Amino acid sequence: MTRSSTIRGLLALGLAAAPMLSIAAAQSPWPDSPSMEQEKYEPVPMPSGFQVVVSEQEGPVFADARGHTLYQWPVRQLRNGPVGERKSQPSCDDTKYTVNSGLMSPYPGGFELPEVETRPSCLDVWPAVLAEDDATPVDKWTIAERKDGTRQWVYDGYALYTSVLDDAPGEVNGAISGTTGEVGARRPVQVPSMVPPQFRVETLLVGRILTTDTGQMVYASEQDAPDESRCDAACLEKWAPILAPAYVTARGDFSAIERAPGIRQWTFRKQPLYTYIGEPMYKMYGSDEPGWDNVYVQYTPKPPAAFTVQESPTGLVLADKNGMTVYRYNCVDDALDQLACDYPEAPQAYRFTVCGGGDVERCLESFPYVEAEEGANSDSQLWSVMWIDPMTGKRAMPDQAGALRVWAYRERPIYTHFRDKAPGDMRGDTWGEFYGYRNGYKAFWLRSDFGRRLP
Amino acid sequence: MNNHNSRSLIKRLALRTMLGALILPVIAVGAEPGAAAEDQSADWAPPGGRIGYVFWDEVSWGIRETPTKEECPEGFNIGPREQFAELFPKDGKKRTLMETQLMREAQVWFPDTKPDTFEFHEVASKYALGVDLDGKDSSEDFVSDDGRTGIDNQLFRVVGCIRNYRREGELGIINTKWRQQNPFNRVTFELTDVDSLKNDPEVTVSYYRTLDTLLAGPTGNYLPGGTQRVDARWGKRFMASTKGRIVDGVLETEPFEQLLVPEWALSDPAYNIFKDARLRLTLSPEGAEGVLAGFIDIEQWYYAMNTSWATHHAAYGQASAASMYKALMRLADAYPDPETGENTAISGAMDIKLTQVYVIHPENEEQTLAASH
Repeated sequence: MTRSSTIRGLLALGLAAAPMLSIAAAQSPWPDSPSMEQEKYEPVPMPSGFQVVVSEQEGPVFADARGHTLYQWPVRQLRNGPVGERKSQPSCDDTKYTVNSGLMSPYPGGFELPEVETRPSCLDVWPAVLAEDDATPVDKWTIAERKDGTRQWVYDGYALYTSVLDDAPGEVNGAISGTTGEVGARRPVQVPSMVPPQFRVETLLVGRILTTDTGQMVYASEQDAPDESRCDAACLEKWAPILAPAYVTARGDFSAIERAPGIRQWTFRKQPLYTYIGEPMYKMYGSDEPGWDNVYVQYTPKPPAAFTVQESPTGLVLADKNGMTVYRYNCVDDALDQLACDYPEAPQAYRFTVCGGGDVERCLESFPYVEAEEGANSDSQLWSVMWIDPMTGKRAMPDQAGALRVWAYRERPIYTHFRDKAPGDMRGDTWGEFYGYRNGYKAFWLRSDFGRRLP
Repeated sequence: MNNHNSRSLIKRLALRTMLGALILPVIAVGAEPGAAAEDQSADWAPPGGRIGYVFWDEVSWGIRETPTKEECPEGFNIGPREQFAELFPKDGKKRTLMETQLMREAQVWFPDTKPDTFEFHEVASKYALGVDLDGKDSSEDFVSDDGRTGIDNQLFRVVGCIRNYRREGELGIINTKWRQQNPFNRVTFELTDVDSLKNDPEVTVSYYRTLDTLLAGPTGNYLPGGTQRVDARWGKRFMASTKGRIVDGVLETEPFEQLLVPEWALSDPAYNIFKDARLRLTLSPEGAEGVLAGFIDIEQWYYAMNTSWATHHAAYGQASAASMYKALMRLADAYPDPETGENTAISGAMDIKLTQVYVIHPENEEQTLAASH
C-alpha cells in the first residue's frame, strides 16, 4: 500500500495545516505602500456649478458646487414590476409612501411600512438637483421638467439627485456602484475613466482595478523597468503582453513601448501590461505569482489596523482582529420609492428581523457589532467610528449609557456572525432577504476565485 | 508550486484532456483491446491503481420518485406563497409589514420547533435510496430497491413531497446546472491502491475540491478523461480520506468522519456537512453513480438552503423553510446535542453521478506540464 503514501502525506499535511494556516492572516491585497495616485478621467463638458470629485471607492464622480456626489435612479425590472426612473422622467417626489409596493416576490403589497409616521419622502432623502431658470443644456447634461414645474438637471438621460447622507466632497454614502441585487437602487454618477478602449476599470473594495475590455485581469511585473519589459521567452510562456495598436500615442497614464520591431505593448504609469495566459475572466490567479501584481488605477485606503484579511473557501475576505469575517448590512425597503434602510437613522425593524427574528438581544448575539477600541479612528472617508445604541440600532451620544463604539464602513456599522467559529468561515454571507441584498448581510469580499464576476 | 500558479497549464491540460478522452477506451480495455467494450463485467485495474471521479450531477437529495407519486399519498406540501395567502387573506383588513412579511422572514432565519400551523406531508414509503448508516434496522428505516434493509434516509421524509426537491422542481434543475458550471462546487473523489475495479478488499478513497471545468459532451453529459487539479489553497477544508472496498463493481466506503459538500446555487457560497459520510457507488472505468450518504448537519443544511435560495425562489418550488425546519428537527436521528439532547443531524443521501478524471496533485503539476509538451 505504499502507492498511497504520497496522497496520504498530502492529506495529512493539508488537514493538519489547515487550522494553523487559517489562523494566520492571509496576505493583504493592498501593497505595503499603495500608490496614492488617483484615477484619471475623461474631460467631460459640464454646466457651471458642477465638478468632478475623485472619491476613495468609486473613483471620479460628478458632484454639485458643494462637492456633493450626484446620483441617478435608472429604471430596472424587479420580480413584480419596474421601479426607478425612466429617461428624462423624474418620479422621485414628496409623496410619503405608507405601504409596501409588492415588487418583491413572493410577498404582496399593501402592508403598512415600519415607522410610517416619520418615514421621509423620496425628495427628503434624495434632493433633486434643480436647474436655474437660465440654465441651458451642455453636451450630455440636459434639463427635465418636473411635475411640480421645477426644472431638474439630467445627465445622460437620467435625473440627478444628491444624498442627505453625504456631507463632505468625495463622500459616496448614498449608494454604491457595485452589485446591488434585487432592489431598485440608486447609483453614483461616475465619470468615464481615462482608459483606452481595450481596457475597463471596475470597482472593488480594494480599489479601482484595471481589466481588459473582455474582463481579463491586467498585471504588471516587478521585474520590469519603467517603459521596459523584461519578460523573456520563459516568462512569455505564462504571460501575454497586452498589445497596443500601431497608432497609439501616450494619453493620461497610458502609453506603449515597442517590445520588438512592430510589436507594441501597452504601459500604465510606465509599467508594461500583461494578462495571465489561460486565466478565466475576473479571476486573480496571476497575482499569486511572485513579483506579479494586479493593476489598480487607484487603491482605496487600507482598512484600519484593527482588521485582518483571511482566506476562505471562496477567496479573500475582510475580518476583524480575531480573524472573524466581517459583514455589511444591506437594506432597501419595498415602497415605490425604494428608500434605503441600511443606515442607523433608518428604521431598524428590517435588520432586527433577519438578525434576531425581531428580538434585539438575539440580534446582538447573532450579528454583533465590530467594536472599536478607545481612541480608534480613521482618516479615510470610508471607515469611521460611531456610537450606537445597541437596543435601538440608532446613533447614540458618546456619553449615553450602554452605547457602543463601533466600526462603520460608509457610515454603516459592520458586523461579525455567531455561526462563524474560525477564521475564513463565512456562514453569514447572503444571510437575509434576497441573498443579503434586499434586507441582509454580505461578507466583505476582497477577492473571489469562484464567482461569476468580481466580488 | 501554487496550484493557481499553473494556469498556463490550462491549455495544455485541455489538450491532454482531449487526448485522455480519446485514449480512455483503449486504457479501459487494457491488454485486450475491444474485449471490455464487449464484456462489461470484465475485470480491470486503473493505471497505477489510481482513478478519479468528478461529481457532475446532483440528481436529488436521495428522493425515490415513482411515476404515480405513491410516496406522497397525502399530496405535496404548499410553499411560502400559499402559506402567506392562508395566513393573510385579501379580506380588506389592514396589516403591517412587521406582522406579515417581516414576521414570515423572521421565521425563515430564526425557525423554531413549535407545532406547525400548516399540515406537513411527509413521505410514506417502504423504499428509499441510501445506506444503512447505523448498522441497525429500525422501524423508521427503509428498504433499498435491491433489497438492502436498514436504509437510513429521514431527509427523504422531509423533502420527498416538496416540489422543489423533486425532478420537476427548480432545485433539481438549477442545482445540477450549478454543480456542473460553478467551479466552487467542483469536488472529486480519487481511489488509490486499486488492484481491481471489480473486486478489491481495500482501496483508499480521498476527497478534494478541484479546480477545473468539466469536459462537456454533445448531449448534456460529461465525458471521462478530463483532468482535475486539487485545490490546495482555498480547498484545504474540503480534504478528507477513508478506506473502502469494491465488491462486484460496487464501492462501499468506511465512514468519512466529515465531508463538506460545496453548494453554490443561485447566490454566494455555502456547503453542507455530511457526518459519518459513506459512498455507495457503482464503478466503471468511465464513471460512477450511486449515493453519498451520511448524517447531515441540520443547522448547516438549513442555512445553506436559505442563503442559496431566497424565499422568492423557494416559493417557485413550494419549499417553506420554516415548515421544513420543524420537520427536520422532528425527524432528526443522530448527533444529539449534549446539553439539550435534541438530535442535530438527520440521515440522508445525495443521489449522484460522477465521471472519470485524472486527478492532478500540486506536487505533480510541473511533471504534468512537462508531459503535456
